[in-house]
Amino acid sequence: MDSDIIIKLNKVNFYYGQSRALTDITMNFRKNKVSALIGPSGCGKSTLLRLLNRMNDLIDGTRIEGEIFFEEKNIYAKDVDPVEIRRKVGMVFQKPNPFPKTIYNNIAYGPKLTSMNTDDLDTLVEQSLKQAVLWDEVKDILNKSAMNLSGGQQQRLCIARALAMKPDILLMDEPTSALDPISTAKIEELIEELKKNYTIIIVTHNMQQAARISDETAFFYLGNMVEYNKTEKIFTNPDVKHTEEYITGRFG
Amino acid sequence: MEERKHTSSHYEMELQEIKNGLIYIGVLTETAIQMAMKSLTERDSDLAHKVIKDDDEIDTLDTDLEERCIKILALRQPTAIDLRFITTAIKITGHLERIGDMAANIAEKAIQLNEEPKLKPYIDLPRMAELVGEMIKKSLDSFIGNDLNMAEEVRRMEQVTDDLNEQIFRELLTFMMEDSKTIHRSLMIMQVSKNLERIADHAKGIADMVTYMVTGESVRHQSCVSDEKEPA
Repeated sequence: MDSDIIIKLNKVNFYYGQSRALTDITMNFRKNKVSALIGPSGCGKSTLLRLLNRMNDLIDGTRIEGEIFFEEKNIYAKDVDPVEIRRKVGMVFQKPNPFPKTIYNNIAYGPKLTSMNTDDLDTLVEQSLKQAVLWDEVKDILNKSAMNLSGGQQQRLCIARALAMKPDILLMDEPTSALDPISTAKIEELIEELKKNYTIIIVTHNMQQAARISDETAFFYLGNMVEYNKTEKIFTNPDVKHTEEYITGRFG
Repeated sequence: MEERKHTSSHYEMELQEIKNGLIYIGVLTETAIQMAMKSLTERDSDLAHKVIKDDDEIDTLDTDLEERCIKILALRQPTAIDLRFITTAIKITGHLERIGDMAANIAEKAIQLNEEPKLKPYIDLPRMAELVGEMIKKSLDSFIGNDLNMAEEVRRMEQVTDDLNEQIFRELLTFMMEDSKTIHRSLMIMQVSKNLERIADHAKGIADMVTYMVTGESVRHQSCVSDEKEPA
């Protein structure tokens, strides 16, 4: 596998019961890049995102065909522990979902629970919060409940919580759709910063957001990947007419 | 393949209005050139004054159209073909505005020339004016119809206007060498010719932008095939 590539999908089909949600997806995600998945509701983009850390395993009646390689290893091979995959491939959801615990314990919970080396939890908490650009805002209230933070702060806390597990990849499922424009700008700024150390794959309905922050963009429609290209190309001169119709608002 | 319409009918209408606005400015500039040339060939200085005055309207329309394009960029955040359409429209209106200025320049020269005896019958200049008028029309038609072949044709025509301009220069040079009293009038006519040649450049600029709009490729600084000279 090309050293630049961190995730490789090979002929992936995915089913919810009898219904096929993804058809024959073959694509690569590159290391230290931000890749955006766009498309109308129900096109399969969030399904694809959840396949990358085996979150769909938790849904009854689902079935996958094909292979997904994470650094050479098929993550759906029988000997792979999905929990270990989820540690390496962290996820941030649409709505901030902090634990009803202190800010400190939101970060420390995962590392304590797993067998990670947690000798210096204080440092890990500080590092993670700094990486998520939240430290300065919460350093004096680490023992206060995370539920008191604003929506934007809660979302950055969730990012810090994911980073504390020292993942390689961060999956983000519409991470700013519940946030105001200033919090959104902070998260976007953070994403640009994080890509130096992490690979980020983001699902977004906000096409301008995809255009602003991603290096590569994939357009999905009815479970098919229509076009996957450099973001600049997609938004100035896409190769496929269907992509153009979607991003220019000639749709439905 | 016919272009699908935008889901937002207001957006669709705004883009259509930009298109219509450009056609209207285009028609005004074509008329301005025709009138400026008529004021020269028929020695009608009143008409020339009208051309100069009418240029204000072209300037106003250009400013208005550019503002509407900027508003669309800010409020609609166009992408792909829409983005290329808007950037092309901004460039085209700039070209048309300059063409209007040049028609006014020709009218100014006509006023001065009309005050002196006619140097010679005008033969090549009207031909050149007709050619550049056709170039403007074709460049705008190529914009409306996304017509790459027509844009290419405009690029080829531009070479003909260059040749005509050169020929007029040479001819006027002989006049000036033979009789120094003709220098002032010859220089005026040279400037008319130069203005027509620059109008052709602007029409080519429009055609280049159409090619960019349709293909996403910039051809602005490439010479067309017919530009390349045969080896001596």
